[in-house]
Amino acid sequence: MSQNPSAQFVRRRMREYFTAYLYLTPSGLVFLVFTLLPALFVLYISLFNWNFLNESLSRWVGLGNYRDLVTSGQFWHSLLITAYFLIGTVPVGVILALVIAMFLMDQVPGRALVRLAVFAPYVTPVVATSIIWLWIFNPEYGLLNALLHLLHLPELGWLQSPHWALIGIIIFTLWHSLGFSVIIFLAGLSGISTELREASRIDGATRLQELRHVVWPLLSPITLFVLVISTIGALQAFTQFYTMTAGGPLASTTTTSYLLYTLAFIFYNTGHAAALAVILFLIIGGLTLVQMGVSRRRTFYQ
Amino acid sequence: MNTKTVAVMAAASLLTAGAAGCGGTQGSSAASTSSGHVNITFMEAMSSGTLAPAMEHLTSEFNRTHKNITVTLEVQASYSTLEAKEQASIAAGNPPTIGQAYEDWAATYAKSGAIVPLASYVHGSNGVSSTYISSMYKGVWKDQFLPGGKLYMWPFNKSDFVMYYNANRLQQQHLAVPTTWTQFMSVTHSLTSSSHGTWGFSMDPGTSSSAANGTYLYVALLRAYGGNLMVNGRVAFASQAGVRAMNVLKTMYDNGSMKLGTNYPGQTALGAEHGAFDLSTIASYYYNNEAIAGKFTMGVAALPKGPAGEGNVLQGTNIVMFSKATSAERSAAWTFMKWLTEPQQTAYWAEHTGYLPVTTQANPLMATYFASHPYQKIAAESLQYALPAPAEPGWTEGIGTIATAIQEVLLQNKPVQQVLTQEQAAAQTYVNQGG
Repeated sequence: MSQNPSAQFVRRRMREYFTAYLYLTPSGLVFLVFTLLPALFVLYISLFNWNFLNESLSRWVGLGNYRDLVTSGQFWHSLLITAYFLIGTVPVGVILALVIAMFLMDQVPGRALVRLAVFAPYVTPVVATSIIWLWIFNPEYGLLNALLHLLHLPELGWLQSPHWALIGIIIFTLWHSLGFSVIIFLAGLSGISTELREASRIDGATRLQELRHVVWPLLSPITLFVLVISTIGALQAFTQFYTMTAGGPLASTTTTSYLLYTLAFIFYNTGHAAALAVILFLIIGGLTLVQMGVSRRRTFYQ
Repeated sequence: MNTKTVAVMAAASLLTAGAAGCGGTQGSSAASTSSGHVNITFMEAMSSGTLAPAMEHLTSEFNRTHKNITVTLEVQASYSTLEAKEQASIAAGNPPTIGQAYEDWAATYAKSGAIVPLASYVHGSNGVSSTYISSMYKGVWKDQFLPGGKLYMWPFNKSDFVMYYNANRLQQQHLAVPTTWTQFMSVTHSLTSSSHGTWGFSMDPGTSSSAANGTYLYVALLRAYGGNLMVNGRVAFASQAGVRAMNVLKTMYDNGSMKLGTNYPGQTALGAEHGAFDLSTIASYYYNNEAIAGKFTMGVAALPKGPAGEGNVLQGTNIVMFSKATSAERSAAWTFMKWLTEPQQTAYWAEHTGYLPVTTQANPLMATYFASHPYQKIAAESLQYALPAPAEPGWTEGIGTIATAIQEVLLQNKPVQQVLTQEQAAAQTYVNQGG
């Protein structure tokens, strides 16, 4: 007696599904317990005037926390600071990384040393190096002002000055994170077939034309990756703000992430902090979607 | 939305979640046994330098002399960790029996019903005498109450501000140690020279989210000029005294005798022989000495006086009792708290840590110590002028408005009165929201 072949197929498929989900369960559970459920809980408490010391004293406020945030100058100011930081680190960082990577592709003397120098900061802990930079930026004893003094340029207040503090942090962040983007670009550049570049050269393309019409389009998936990762990184940057300026002076370095931290863990204003976390998630998600949408049309895969 | 987009968004949310801190605690809950023996826990942050051995010694001494009580210390690395751990343990329903707390933490805990009022213990049959209470420094006693007049705390490690100075520099320049703010301004100005890279002192104005020594310096100045942070429950630093106090800072900043910095800049500048003074708490004595490393003699004096005398700010924490404790644990905890502030123990604590005794009854016991450590005597005498910060739940944010005001005046040159009025209103809003 032979079994119905389609029933047998279904049973086999079912078993395969079961096995697959069984394998996925451990990571799925971790994701559920440590990411998804807390994220949903954040959404829930963002609707309350939450008393985390005594939950029974929490009061339902609906969208009140969101209303408070969007009507507060603090929130919009932090978004502006975040935008400055984003512009200062992402486009500048991507361009710098590309230039350095292209330079490092050429057979220049001391290439290995420069590669090491560019990449080394990335593997150092942000806390430790930001403290070193705190001294470099010190207006009285710092290296940077000593250099400016040597060059007969006016000395700056750096992290003590509301005008220069964010620029100081951007300089540190670029120094620290550039190595990662450079390595990714180097990998991307090595992946571009030399035949295509040679063909363009035989056709009479200049170095610049080769870069514009051959290398750049073929690098677009890499650029997209670097762009997305740096954007997420910039939106979440926290440590350097915490150690170098604590959001000051005068909130000139209070990004949205830092504001979230102060609301949640200094002032224990849990409801507002949760609402801000939800807004930040929407912003990051939205930006990522826009980036994906724009670049899908402009990304070329070899 | 395709799979890739979802994956990137999921990665984004994962990273976001990673950015948020998560704290947990394994609070070992106190327990009383059937034999009448009571175990209690004390969560504290006395973990560095000479603090840890002194705390351990006192605790084991208490345990030795009180056979039916065992105190276990739950030591945390810093005040911020302590606060996070206390908060997490309250939220988890498993707090220690007692814990160190600043005034505004206590206010927040009390608002959530997490700590108990102590009046029934302090004035109860196992309480302290009225003679003892009157021997406590006025500011220290006042510091134990929350708004509404309820006694919620018991004093522990208290300190106040003093003036450290480079005695050699003052001597070389034939300058006397300033005793008034007017003298201080003129002495610091005459020690300032851009060609020599020297100035009066450096201070950290703090930020809107964390007060620093400079923030408290303004409070001390405000009091020295006759002002107060709050009057009749209303924030009141935008007074005439507040304006005069801010003008002192502005004058010194504008003429270069005061510089701003972060991470204990006063100590660094003094140690590096750039600054001639450092205004910070007596608890910094050890660290300042380390920074100076024997390069010159460090002098210690009381903070300069203003028209209303010396203004000072009480620093350090008190002890609170958490409401989860059983009545047996509460009375055991009170016995320990009271014991810690008895003259002999408070004297031991002060002599071994640099904090100050909370009662004048300890002074005769400390006579020899004061003779060899005159700076401690200076700080102890200043305690009578040291007032606590307002114990309002919103004051953590409230004090930040002073840091903002200092920076707006000094760095942005905004008019003093306008800034103070605006920041006073902001502080009032925080107090209203927190209360």
